Amino acid sequence: MPRNDVKNLAALCADVDALAGANHETVLTSLPNWDSLAVLLTISHFEHTHAVGITATQLRACHTVRDLLDHLPR
Amino acid sequence: MHSSLSNTRISGLAVSTGSVVRDFRADGLAAGDDPAQLERVAKAIGLRERRVAAPGVTTLDLCEDAARRLLEEMAVDPTSIDALIFVTQTPDYLQPNNSSLLQARLGLCKSVAAFDITQGCSGWIYGLHQAALLCSHGAARVLVCTGDTLSRQTDPKDAATHPIFGDAGSATLVEKTGSESAMHFIFGTDGSGAPAIMVPTGGARQPVAVGAPGACLQMDGAEVFNFALREVPPAVAGVLKLAGWTPSTTDRLVLHQANRFMVASLARKCGFPDEKCPMDLGEQFGNQSSASIPAALVHACGSTLQEQTLKIAACGYGVGLSWGAAAFTVGPVVVPPMLPFPRH
Repeated sequence: MPRNDVKNLAALCADVDALAGANHETVLTSLPNWDSLAVLLTISHFEHTHAVGITATQLRACHTVRDLLDHLPR
Repeated sequence: MHSSLSNTRISGLAVSTGSVVRDFRADGLAAGDDPAQLERVAKAIGLRERRVAAPGVTTLDLCEDAARRLLEEMAVDPTSIDALIFVTQTPDYLQPNNSSLLQARLGLCKSVAAFDITQGCSGWIYGLHQAALLCSHGAARVLVCTGDTLSRQTDPKDAATHPIFGDAGSATLVEKTGSESAMHFIFGTDGSGAPAIMVPTGGARQPVAVGAPGACLQMDGAEVFNFALREVPPAVAGVLKLAGWTPSTTDRLVLHQANRFMVASLARKCGFPDEKCPMDLGEQFGNQSSASIPAALVHACGSTLQEQTLKIAACGYGVGLSWGAAAFTVGPVVVPPMLPFPRH
C-alpha cells in the first residue's frame, strides 16, 4: 500500500471521529456515527488538510473509506 | 457585482433578540435524543443555547425595539429619516410589507421611502449597500432593519435545522457624511443551488392552506458548507482588494454567524486569525439570519466601536444561494447593548 494512503487515512481518521478505527475497506454506512456531522467534518478535513474541495454529492456517492481517499491527488 | 460608495457611514447599530432561552442539550434530551450524540454535535458545531421569540412576537416587533432604542440613544428625530429598508424573509403579512408598518410605528414622515428586501443571511450587506446608495444620491439618513424569526419555520423533528436558529432584529443607521469615507461591496448569486436552503411550500408555486403542515425550512448542511467554502473566501478577498486592505491591516472579519464550526472554517480559509473573527454568537444566540452580522458587531465589538474606529470586513451567505461582502471603516458610533425583547 502506498505510504501516502496510510498517512492520509490516519489524518482523516484523526479529524473525523466517526472514522476512528476504520480501514480502507470500511463501508461508510456501517459506521454508527457516519452522519451529517461526519460529512461536514470530512469536507472540512479535505479543505484544510489537502486544499481539496469535495462536494456533498461526491462524498455521498462514496461507499468505502477508500472511495473517499480516491478523491485526493496521488 | 462590485460597488464602491463614498461619503456614507454607519452612525449607530442596535440588536434585539428573542427573549426565550432554549438549551440545545436539554431540548435534545427532552426529545429523546442520545446524550452522547448530543454532546458530540454540541462540541463539534458549537451549539449551546439560542434565543427565540416569545409567542406573538414577530420580526417586526424585534426590529421596532432595536430601532427605538437606537434612535433614542442617538437622540435622532424619527422625522429626520429619509428612507427605511426592511430586510426579512419572515414579514408579518404577505401584504403589506414590514417597512410600511414600521414607518407608522416609528412615526417616520410620510415622505419617507420605505421598501422591503427579501434576503436571508446575506441580507444585512444588501440593506447596507442600498442605504449607502441612497445616501450617495440625496438621502441624508437611512434606517436599515434586518431580521428573521426562523426558529418558527423549522420542523421540531428535523435535527439539522430545529436546534440551530435563533430570532433577532437589528437596526442600523446609515448617514451621508462630508468625509471621504468609503464602503466597498461585492455581491454574488447562484440560484442553481436554491434547493440547499428552502421552504418549499407556502408560496405561489406550492400554496398551502393556512395551518397546514409542510411549510418548514429544509436545509442540506453539507451543500451549504460546500457553497460557503467556495464563495465566501473569494468574496472577502475581493472586497479587501477593493478597499486596498489585507487580513493583517483589517481589524475584524465579521462573518454571518451560522455556527462556530462554519465561521471558524471560513475564517481560516480567508486567511484571518481566530482572534479577528467573532465566532461564538451562534453558540449563545443561535443562527440569527440577516441580524447575525450586526449582532456580532454589537456583541463582539460594541464597546470598542463606541470609542474607536475599526476597519471591518463582513460577509453574509445563505439562502438563494446568495452572498455579499462589504469593507468599511466604522466608529466611534452609538451601540446600545444587545437586549432581549420583551424585557421582563
